[in-house]
Amino acid sequence: MKPAIPIYITAASQISIQEPLCDKWMSEPRIGLSGYNEAIDPAFKEWMSPGEARRLGKIMKRAVVTSTECMKASGVTMPDAIITATGLGCVKNTELFLTDLCTQGESLLKPTQFMQSTHNTIGSLIAILNKCHGYNVTYAQGDMSTDVALLDAVTQLSLGDISTALVGAHDEMTPNYYTLLKRSGYYGVESMVSSAEVAVSFMLSTQHGKHPLCTIDSISVLHKPTVESIRTCTEKFGQIDCIIAGYNGKCDYDSKYDDIISHLTDDDTPVLQYKNLFGESMTASALGLYAASRIISTDKIHDSMLRSGRKPSNINSILVINSSGNDVSFIKLSKVSL
Amino acid sequence: MQEDPIVITGYGILSALGNDHTATLSALTRGVSGIADIRHLATSHTEFPVGEVKMSNEEMEHLLSLPDNSVTTRTALMGMIALDRAVDMARLDHSAGTQNGIAFISGTTVGGMDRSEQHYLDFLSGDDFKQYISTHDCGACSEMIASRHDIFNFVATPSTACSSAANAIILGARMLLSEQSDVVVAGGSECITKFHLNGFNTLMILDREQCRPFDRDRAGLNLGEGAAYVVMERLSHAIKRGVTPIIELAGWGNACDAFHQTASSDDGEGAYLAMKQAVDQAGISPGDVGYINAHGTGTPNNDISETHAMQRLFGNNVPPVSSTKSSTGHTTSASGAIESVITIMAVTNDFLPANVGFNTPIEGGISPVETPLMNKRVNYALCNSFGFGGNDSSLLFKRL
Repeated sequence: MKPAIPIYITAASQISIQEPLCDKWMSEPRIGLSGYNEAIDPAFKEWMSPGEARRLGKIMKRAVVTSTECMKASGVTMPDAIITATGLGCVKNTELFLTDLCTQGESLLKPTQFMQSTHNTIGSLIAILNKCHGYNVTYAQGDMSTDVALLDAVTQLSLGDISTALVGAHDEMTPNYYTLLKRSGYYGVESMVSSAEVAVSFMLSTQHGKHPLCTIDSISVLHKPTVESIRTCTEKFGQIDCIIAGYNGKCDYDSKYDDIISHLTDDDTPVLQYKNLFGESMTASALGLYAASRIISTDKIHDSMLRSGRKPSNINSILVINSSGNDVSFIKLSKVSL
Repeated sequence: MQEDPIVITGYGILSALGNDHTATLSALTRGVSGIADIRHLATSHTEFPVGEVKMSNEEMEHLLSLPDNSVTTRTALMGMIALDRAVDMARLDHSAGTQNGIAFISGTTVGGMDRSEQHYLDFLSGDDFKQYISTHDCGACSEMIASRHDIFNFVATPSTACSSAANAIILGARMLLSEQSDVVVAGGSECITKFHLNGFNTLMILDREQCRPFDRDRAGLNLGEGAAYVVMERLSHAIKRGVTPIIELAGWGNACDAFHQTASSDDGEGAYLAMKQAVDQAGISPGDVGYINAHGTGTPNNDISETHAMQRLFGNNVPPVSSTKSSTGHTTSASGAIESVITIMAVTNDFLPANVGFNTPIEGGISPVETPLMNKRVNYALCNSFGFGGNDSSLLFKRL
């Protein structure tokens, strides 16, 4: 959809397998990571009491930090909506509860693990901490979770139902769950990028604020797209200076991106990748949008991100593409000139 | 009345009360409960009565004519049955979505947990059951259900615990208002698993007897399962394609209680805000609401909090209330859709369903509808769905 009014990303904050809460990945990224990798966590005690830090799982702590930082950077103290994306939810607690259930049977199970295993625990926690009574929803749509959450936010901003939305994308990984996803073929394919842990928060607003990163000009999520439906959706994009797509090193995935891009633009439109730096996860596309929002506001691109074409010098528009098994999403961003 | 309102043109429902809407309607008008001893779930906790769908997985696979080697989960099977019926009633096919397409929005939290809890140790040790690893996540569940009908160009999965399906309907409404979809099929599906039966047990909120929502002596909830979907479109669109609008979705609200991960606030702030938003959006006054299908889980905490929220909004004139969870069990992520369909059937068939098991009111509380009230015509009905984490939603339906 093309929003009826300008919608800005006014702040973005990340914890990932790159250095957290900063843009070091733009100049000195960690490169060459593969296999299983955990996120680099900040010192949580700067954001919460020691009791809270002990009580909460990592996915929750990271969400608290990126949400807090994002709200601080945007100057929004009470968002109208909190919309959360998570592919697998609180994996660690789910796994603990499930392991006890499968090994010791249906007795002596721990309520805290169950309470912190539900997907919407993350978004609820942010609301509880900020006493935010606004719209609060969580989406778990596999690799499209982030894109669906963003679509809901942009739709409500465009309809005038809300003016600000804190959109978060959160997934954690454990060695056991990595083993499972390797077995299913999601991870561990030869030449594939690292696994990821994701904590990204965006502030979306109808007001540009002091330091907007970009505008979201268009967002579409297509289920089982055809060449024709992709064309209909993308032909209104206009000039695109640069594409950033979720190449992850898996042949079938990467060729899907090549195929989609071949229908869209001239051969010489530069194409960037980000999962070689940030890794793969169901909510990894949030890191793609995060990277795009930084790149468009700074015009800086690390060499390792360039997949094809020439590095553009002045970037006025970026198309972020996320493709999963059955779905594809397009998010078009534009530079803000105040 | 809104210029081109959102109307419901079809629905499908499957719960402990019956395998289709006809059986459900019959059970509701007779005021019976589908809650019984555990039959299908392989659990040692047989002391808890539940609202199971009265079919095994094999029976559902047979009903759906699925091939023998299908990789499915119970949540997906129930979802497919309810979806088939909704698509059928609304006469949906590709031609209904020529402009912007047809969306499928299905809430779930359990997803494929029924298979994961059976095979988790197998997943870790070998490849024998690996086909079920990728059916675990909520999104995969919705995709499986959607794949039953090759008509959808958008699939989304809200996962806000017990309000998931209500939030699916709310997103669906906005997809229509913003003209991103011509038609939306929205609702939810959820089977009972050992995972959440035990989880709720650790929280000590399961009643060992038939649950008694809003009763002074209520002692917790009975888990239920099922699926339901509604087909939504703009009135002009329904007329254009020649289908009969059944009821209007006149308002909705979503607010966060922002109080506690598993408990509701005493004043029911989230619930109050959600109901108020729905009523305000329709431009009516609370006095116009003729029936409330309450969230009414039967837990001491929910029912008092919801009572306070209703009393805040309606004062001394709380309209007739019933919690049909006393008949279906608490169908968790599906409850918003199952209870929406029950509300729709009640309004369009001129009756108010019963709050089975009620005896004594809470002091200062409400007295819900005890037996089905027939020949009772209401114009507006609210349907409440509240989830863990204070994810509270309310939907307002209007007789056409």
